[in-house]
Amino acid sequence: MIESLRTRWIIIILVTVAGIIWTVPNFVNTDKMWWPTKAKMVLGLDIQGGSHLVLGVDVDSAVKKESQRMAQMFRDELPKEQVAVTSVEVTDELRGAMTINVASTADVEKVTAYLERIFGGQTFNIDEAAGNAVRIEFGELHLRDFKSKLVEQAIAVIRNRIDEFGVAEPSITAQGTDRILVQLPGIKDASNAKDLINRTARLDFMMVYRGEEANPAKLEELIKEAETANNIKFGELRYSQYVDKINEALKGKLPANTLIYFEKPESAETLAVGRIPYLLKTDDVVTGDRLTNAQVSMDQYGKPVVHFAFDPVGTREFGALTTKHVNENMAIVLDKVVKSAPNINEPITGGSGQITLGGGRDMNASLNEAKLIATALRAGALPAALEQLEERTVGPSLGADAIRQGQIGTMIAALAVFVFMLLYYRTFGIVANLSLILNVMLTVAGLSALGATLTLPGIAGLALTLGMGVDSNVIIYERVKEEMSKGASVTAAIREGFDRAFSSILDGHVTSILVCFVLIYFGTGPVRGFAVTLVTGLFINLFTAVFFTRAMFDLMTNKLKIKPSVGWGAQHV
Amino acid sequence: MSNATKPAHDFGRFDYVKLAPLMGGISVVIMILAVVFLATKGLNYGIDFSGGTEMQLRFDKPVDSGDLRTALEEAGIHNPGVQRFGSDTEFLVRLETPKAATEKETNALIKQDIEKIKTTLQAKFGLTEGGVLRVDSVGPQVGSELKKNGLLAVFYSLLMLLIYIAVRFDYKFAPGAIICLAHDALVVVGIYALLGKEFNVQIMAAVLTLIGYSLNDTIVTFDRIRETTPEYRDRGLKFTINKAINDMMSRTILTAFTTMLAVVSLYLFGGGVIAEISFALMIGIVFGVYSSIYVAAPLILVMEKFKRKTA
Repeated sequence: MIESLRTRWIIIILVTVAGIIWTVPNFVNTDKMWWPTKAKMVLGLDIQGGSHLVLGVDVDSAVKKESQRMAQMFRDELPKEQVAVTSVEVTDELRGAMTINVASTADVEKVTAYLERIFGGQTFNIDEAAGNAVRIEFGELHLRDFKSKLVEQAIAVIRNRIDEFGVAEPSITAQGTDRILVQLPGIKDASNAKDLINRTARLDFMMVYRGEEANPAKLEELIKEAETANNIKFGELRYSQYVDKINEALKGKLPANTLIYFEKPESAETLAVGRIPYLLKTDDVVTGDRLTNAQVSMDQYGKPVVHFAFDPVGTREFGALTTKHVNENMAIVLDKVVKSAPNINEPITGGSGQITLGGGRDMNASLNEAKLIATALRAGALPAALEQLEERTVGPSLGADAIRQGQIGTMIAALAVFVFMLLYYRTFGIVANLSLILNVMLTVAGLSALGATLTLPGIAGLALTLGMGVDSNVIIYERVKEEMSKGASVTAAIREGFDRAFSSILDGHVTSILVCFVLIYFGTGPVRGFAVTLVTGLFINLFTAVFFTRAMFDLMTNKLKIKPSVGWGAQHV
Repeated sequence: MSNATKPAHDFGRFDYVKLAPLMGGISVVIMILAVVFLATKGLNYGIDFSGGTEMQLRFDKPVDSGDLRTALEEAGIHNPGVQRFGSDTEFLVRLETPKAATEKETNALIKQDIEKIKTTLQAKFGLTEGGVLRVDSVGPQVGSELKKNGLLAVFYSLLMLLIYIAVRFDYKFAPGAIICLAHDALVVVGIYALLGKEFNVQIMAAVLTLIGYSLNDTIVTFDRIRETTPEYRDRGLKFTINKAINDMMSRTILTAFTTMLAVVSLYLFGGGVIAEISFALMIGIVFGVYSSIYVAAPLILVMEKFKRKTA
């Protein structure tokens, strides 16, 4: 304990001022005025209303797909390395374990050399390379990395989608290793948001159909017919729904394995105003999820282009596609919109290419679009399927009711305690009540500074903090009374009471804080909110119920020469 | 010292330890009963743990819950749970999770059911769009995980406390504290099983808080026993425990009383989730006081005897 009363009071005043600074923004709108901090407590969805979704990322299926894809790559690529592959068997899809069977021991060496060259010993662990077989599986690190990237990527995609939806302050975070928590304050019906999340940014490289039927004018005619026949209006539907309906209606009228997507010409503001239909082949498609990078750069004429690069598997697939279709037009399709359809002049086997945006518009618009495409490409399609595990929606009226009731309950609880303490402990009661008020204020300030979320259970946690605060005061005062009944003076009794009570209070707080940390670690949502509030309150209570009250009494007895009344049950000497 | 109320014994007003075997017996019986209730009746898990869909609805005029159930059953909702919530105009409707092949189909079915309920109630009872206060839908996966996490939380809380008490006090104090906490948690959970009250995440939080609260009680008592021991070493542990409990009695009662004051106010006026949490806390505070006197402290004696026998 710091001996100097002056130092102690300086600390108390500083802490109180800081407390006021962080408390005020919660109650006063500080937007228009000068104030050191704008941080305030975030209200939980159970208080302010909104939607809460927990989505599971189907990591396992993605890993299985990856295993099969890798196996296929070995089947295709190893023969090109003059390896006589007899078979590639996937033995454990979830760990990417596979056996590459070859004709001879020499081939085994070639396989290991190939693996070293392509993956640099990173992706795969070679478990056994002997006889006529190489057994490999994904390295522990690679697998973990692959999974966490899946979740990260899914979060990026969801964030893109939600931003489009225009929700104020959405929160999209990973939960555990394969969960995503989406919180949308103020959204009453989550179904729109869910549709939006599931409509993923999807990039495809598709071949343009070559033939009579692909003539834009003829296509437009067919589309017009389908529109009137099925009462499909472009303006009333979202683009993706419109495209699906049109293709549904035109089934049978288009050549087999083709569909229509549209390009938005540079001159048009929106697709509704001007559009160019494309007839695309649905076989021979390379998807964009194999892209490793996409960025904006300038071509030699200073126009923005989007550069993209594939990983080894994508490089192979993209190479095969462009080799097969030299001198044909390849459409780059993002979310069913044709971005451009350049001619393939020669096979692209290097694994990278670029999307030209064409001219006609002002530089800024092109640049913005290039950036958008690059971002979309990097985020790509949802890398794994999402499944909804939990959905909670709270209407704003429930939240308002709940917070009002909670406030009333807390007020009454606090008032009851205050009145009791005052009646029972007199002067000591005043000090106790001051410490409790300070405790609540500092807890609110602390939670604001931490940017913590206040949930309904959090309010209960705050009430419990108050309970612990009362207990600390009671322990001290009862001890003071005990010392006085043994014959000590008020001053001596206060000193003894504080010193002896402190170990009890400390132990009680440390143990509760330990429990809170366990709760914070294991709890989700409401439980965590409860524990965070309580733990903050408990730390602050050590300051207010011990440090502050002691300074109050020392000030009274030493400087002001007041003899505080301890209230009932004490024998004054 | 004033002699107006002369203590009956030199350690204080009341011989707590003397009653310990009787109370211990009662505690054991209560714990067994709690386990029996848990095993036979089981806990009425909320959708947080069991998975399912729950809607909170508010109507503009009073509605009979029987009518509501009949209307929903007629609309083709399988076995709907209808429960009044506070007043005649507010209700909780619970749905079972429909069984479908995939998660996606299940979700579609849930969505269908929710829509069905909304349209039915809009037509028959004049439910407004704003009357749908809350819709919660929890997949079974999340529920069972919550259960697991809850148990893990209890386990790790107890483990950390065990270590802390053994280090800070004495190893002979530790089992008493832990058994005392397990006793409190078990009693509250047992009462929930007995009453068939819904056990959800919030109640779990309350139970864990009780562990902390009751522990605080126990620690304060232990602390006093530790402090009293050197002064009265020759009078034996029984005397020390009795003296410590007697000396602490006013504090124990005062704290329990003020906390109770706050919790009862919250129970009466807080409403909803806060009232639910307060109910659990009310039970817990009563048993917390009892257990730190009659479960925790006497167990120190048991440990002491055990130690002497093995020594």
